[in-house]
Amino acid sequence: MSARHGMRWPTAALAGAVIVAGAALAVVAARGEPSPRTLEGRVHAVASTLRCPVCQNLSVADSPSLLAQQMRSTIAKELQAGRSPDEIRGEFVAGYGEWILLAPPKRGIDLVAWLIPILLMAGGAAWAGLAVVRWTRGSVPAPIASNAATGPGLPPGDRVLLERAIRSVSDEEPE
Amino acid sequence: MDPRGPASHPSGLEATGRWTRRRKRWVVLAGTLGGVALLSVLLGFGLSRDPTLIRSPLLGRPAPDFSLRALDGTDSIRLSDLRGQVVVINFWASWCAECRVEHPVLAATWDRYREQGVVVLGIAFQDRPSASRAYLSELGGGWPQLSDPGERTALAYGVYGVPETFVVAPDGRVMFKQVGAVNYGALTDEIERLVATT
Repeated sequence: MSARHGMRWPTAALAGAVIVAGAALAVVAARGEPSPRTLEGRVHAVASTLRCPVCQNLSVADSPSLLAQQMRSTIAKELQAGRSPDEIRGEFVAGYGEWILLAPPKRGIDLVAWLIPILLMAGGAAWAGLAVVRWTRGSVPAPIASNAATGPGLPPGDRVLLERAIRSVSDEEPE
Repeated sequence: MDPRGPASHPSGLEATGRWTRRRKRWVVLAGTLGGVALLSVLLGFGLSRDPTLIRSPLLGRPAPDFSLRALDGTDSIRLSDLRGQVVVINFWASWCAECRVEHPVLAATWDRYREQGVVVLGIAFQDRPSASRAYLSELGGGWPQLSDPGERTALAYGVYGVPETFVVAPDGRVMFKQVGAVNYGALTDEIERLVATT
């Protein structure tokens, strides 16, 4: 009993630490980057959500191409004129379509891309939580002790083998 | 011996345990197969679409207005002033090889339809004005040629690269877009259609 408790507390502490770390990570990820103060930072924030039209899979913030440079200067001018990042993105969408956005919009069929990771994360967390609860309950020794021969835990073939082995051991014992 | 030994197990319980285990396995299998099937459908949907072929969101929409200075610096042209006329807008550059290919098509279109009030506008894209002017004096082209500082107009039209050609209807809506060297038949078909409705 005490040995099992000795195993339980570090496991629980570890599980707790993992949960706390995961929650902290989720909060940080959900909050995103702090909103930038400088114009350069604000331009970067908008440009990094837009796809560079002339290069594959580079954001406007990362692309060295001339068109991306011009898009960045357009973004800077619009920000200085008091436009909001969403308005500026909307203007690019009007010309290029939603293709220009690096992240799909959160509606229609594109919602799937947002929901699947969340569902998988939730499912994984639930599965991990259940597994941890099952392990820390300390129920592992019980079925081995009580159900070894005929318990529900063994496939029929293994059970036959096990029974045969037990029988052979007990047969040998008297001699 | 353990009091909870084999003898104390009613046979029914064992069967139930085996049954739920089997059911659980089926649920896991069905869930996995369902997930894989869903992802396959999405993947198939994604792969069946050509990612390089993007329909312009401007088609059928009002053409973004612009007021641009001519390359030779004389005067400026405002698109909204041309309402009531068919306008062909061509983005080009002196460094663009396909623009040279399509240049005769634009020249022929201009020659054939200018009498009917069709306007062809060239807009230089990412080009030095001196290079643009040298290109025009080499190849000719009497239709208005405009410079687009900072490519503001090109970005509003969603230009990826040159050449790109748009046709604006008399009501100011974008009716046609071609990426790459413009096709004479397709361009004149569209112009004929729009001219006939005016």
